[in-house]
Amino acid sequence: MNVRHLYLHLPFCASRCGYCAFVVEVGGYDRRDAYLEAVLAELDLERPRLGPLETVYMGGGTPTLMRPSRIAALVERLGPLLADGAEVTVEANPETIDQAALRALLKAGVTRLSFGGQSFQPHLLRALDRGATPDQVRRAVLYARGLGFPSVSLDMLFGVPGQTRDDLERDLAEVVRIEPDHVSWYELELKPGSALAARGATLDEDFAEDAYARIVERLEQAGYHWYETANFAWPGHECRHSLAYWTARDYLGLGVGAVSTVGGVRWRNAPGVDRYVAALGRGEAPARSREDLDEDTRRRERWMLGLRLDRPLDVAWAGPPDRPDALARLADLGLVENGGGTVTLTRDGRFVQNTILNELMESW
Amino acid sequence: MDQSLIRNFSIIAHIDHGKSTLADRILEVTKAVSEREMRSQVLDSMDLERERGITIKAQAVRVAYTARDGRTYQLNLIDTPGHVDFSYEVSRSLAACEGALLVVDASQGIQAQTLANTYLAIEGDLEIVPVLNKIDLPAAEPELHARAVADLIGDDPDRVLRISAKTGAGVTEVLEAIVERMPPPAGDPDGPARALIFDSVYDQYRGVVAFIRVVDGVFRKGDKMRAMQTGLTVTAEEIGVMAPAMTPTGELGAGETGYVVTGLKDIGDLRVGDTLTLASAPAPEPLPGYREVKPMVFCGLFPVDSDEYPELRDALEKLSLNDASLQWEPETSQALGFGFRCGFLGLLHMDIVRERLEREYDLELLATTPNVEYRVTLTTGEVIAVRSPSELPHPSKIEKIEEPYVRCTVLVPQDGVGAVMGLCQDRRGVFVTMEPIEQRQQIVYDLPLAEIVLDFYDQLKSRTAGYASLDYELMGERESPLVKLDILLAGEPVDALSMIVHRDHAYTRGKVLVEKLRGTIPRQMFEVAVQAAIGGKIIARETVKARRKDVLAKCYGGDISRKRKLLERQKEGKKRMKQVGRVEVPQEAFLAVLEIGEGAGGKK
Repeated sequence: MNVRHLYLHLPFCASRCGYCAFVVEVGGYDRRDAYLEAVLAELDLERPRLGPLETVYMGGGTPTLMRPSRIAALVERLGPLLADGAEVTVEANPETIDQAALRALLKAGVTRLSFGGQSFQPHLLRALDRGATPDQVRRAVLYARGLGFPSVSLDMLFGVPGQTRDDLERDLAEVVRIEPDHVSWYELELKPGSALAARGATLDEDFAEDAYARIVERLEQAGYHWYETANFAWPGHECRHSLAYWTARDYLGLGVGAVSTVGGVRWRNAPGVDRYVAALGRGEAPARSREDLDEDTRRRERWMLGLRLDRPLDVAWAGPPDRPDALARLADLGLVENGGGTVTLTRDGRFVQNTILNELMESW
Repeated sequence: MDQSLIRNFSIIAHIDHGKSTLADRILEVTKAVSEREMRSQVLDSMDLERERGITIKAQAVRVAYTARDGRTYQLNLIDTPGHVDFSYEVSRSLAACEGALLVVDASQGIQAQTLANTYLAIEGDLEIVPVLNKIDLPAAEPELHARAVADLIGDDPDRVLRISAKTGAGVTEVLEAIVERMPPPAGDPDGPARALIFDSVYDQYRGVVAFIRVVDGVFRKGDKMRAMQTGLTVTAEEIGVMAPAMTPTGELGAGETGYVVTGLKDIGDLRVGDTLTLASAPAPEPLPGYREVKPMVFCGLFPVDSDEYPELRDALEKLSLNDASLQWEPETSQALGFGFRCGFLGLLHMDIVRERLEREYDLELLATTPNVEYRVTLTTGEVIAVRSPSELPHPSKIEKIEEPYVRCTVLVPQDGVGAVMGLCQDRRGVFVTMEPIEQRQQIVYDLPLAEIVLDFYDQLKSRTAGYASLDYELMGERESPLVKLDILLAGEPVDALSMIVHRDHAYTRGKVLVEKLRGTIPRQMFEVAVQAAIGGKIIARETVKARRKDVLAKCYGGDISRKRKLLERQKEGKKRMKQVGRVEVPQEAFLAVLEIGEGAGGKK
């Protein structure tokens, strides 16, 4: 096996945000060392699958709650596995780090920081239960760049209940002003199980449509490259780890709730830090749910993922769609462009990807 | 069999007032079924009947009862449907009896439906034995309701039996009253044979089985019988009684009730209400009271998946084997493709047929707005029947349109009177009378049947917190100023959404309907105009905006399978849509039409 992309899940959080339905552990800091040991033990178990790692991504949770010392220890252990020029990303919450912490991460070999900003408007940060102030978000990005991190990314949200068009314009202006190298701008999803959903929040479809179009327009105007559905980057700052997902490459995920896809098999580690730690303490793999991906499913996933990117999808690589004749119809509607052996979504098409995918495929 | 030892009776009761439970108890007490065999509510054997707690087909069960006078009687219980749609079947069941048990819930009292069926029984000269059921319930008010029941049938309140079919208390008294109070049959055992067909079913192996009440003479196995209305001659392949399973007896004599197996393939050949006689010695006159059952409500049924058209045809054919009142003929809709225009006895009948088609035959169906049959006189003097809005000729060719009216009887507590009258006024009702019955008001209105087939019954229930009960009977046609309301999607008229409405309601209904449709039709790849028009003139418009985005969920390593499932769900949702021209229309859109009566009256 030759897996080149590694995800590490670091689940600890100070509190759960209102929109969050991820696998996180609130508090429980005394278990951080034990958890780290367990993740390293799982890494040892899975090591035979790994080739030289081109990308590593530490997500959460709030990875920065692991403190720089533990992250440094992790990166150090990964060192021998890393390929030359590997991308090593850590997700960070602006309120959990300071200059010293950022220096420590840089020194440890982290090449890319992904900050959870979500908004610069205080009332929206409150609505999302975010702990950072707008100023902390701003400073985190600026410090990180000042310190010389090769790439700094900022996560933003739109469609937050209570968000106005003016709020969105202010957020856009702020992002363009502080110039992160990379921006992920997602629509808020009301996931069942999140506190926002439980509070009965609703989303405004009309607002969200306008907001999405406006975000793309404004960021492109500022020179960002809309390289994936919800991701924007300065040239050369595309997230290589995410690109691995979108080009359907194999990846290994370690830690609670982490998902791996290797050789047509996908598995997900069960949530629950205690059981995870206990299993690996016994030298066993953690509890996992497994999904076998047949060739049709893999072919369809290649289309589903590949069409998220602005680069042409190579049909010879992906395999034919279930309904090849739909391509001509979609081209007539101005939604796709058919090149010689490639398919690219037009700007209009990129906004209605799901509809297009369901035109192309019989089932999922 | 000595006719003096025979009693034929029915049970008249409102839904849930305990008819089936009492019937079960009678079977138990007379040991017709052992307790072990006792499936709850033996008589209601169709699944749907059991689920809805209603009886659709009438049946007859024979039990033997040894009374306190020491003699053993043959009791034939002829079950009756309990819903207004099936009132003709009720009247035929009653015609096969000399007596009826009137079962009334001791806490709820008489309901409109009970009233209607009781009048039918009184008109048919039946001896009525009144029974208050559920006296064990805390809310029971036996004294109050006994007086009301006695008033209704002109009897003494003391003669009203008080029972609990659930516990079995008083059931023997009921059996005694049947023997004592109800007269035996009085046909001529030696006359030319005559029997009333009060129900028939189709059996896959034995053909049509007719349930009959022999009035005069005797029928034997092997006899050549003639159905006097249809003129058809058929052999009695087997004759017997339901005890409660089919039990061959070889013959049925005057006064007896049982079944005849015919081997016929078409249930329409032996119609409920027809008279059987012997082909060799035919009776000169049929029994009175036969009439052809005519459907009152029509709608188009279309398969969601047009490939299922042949399956829908097969299913309708099979259902018709057992339901002579179900009519259907092929219909082509520009919007919905190939389907069938079906005629039903009423709304419940329509619901039941639809549900059976979907459940038993695994079909996904689209039903168009139900409508009634209009009589249209053309300027040429020709008169045509219009059963679908698309059949309505251009207004310039129409001299006049007549629509069926019904006389509606509603029973409601005093504080619901305003709500009921408001509803009836909204629906073009003409007030007839109002009088108190027990502690309630009986309100009578004449209403266009078309107004009832929308959501009248649901509205009646919701506006009176469920306390109102309804009965109606057809009373002929009246001329009305009616127009065809067309609905256009993306500029194209959708025939399946058009409807015939009163001129004065057209504007409001059109407006409400396009609003409803705008809310029901999902965003498409392009903007969709939803318009209502009368005679080509647009009277209301709404717009379903184009879908501009649908993709925003993030999609990283842990999201891929979830995203696939989301796409699959969206695909499933799309499959349930019907492509109408360029527009994908969900099933609910076709039902939106049903709910617009609500807004049309301007009241909630």
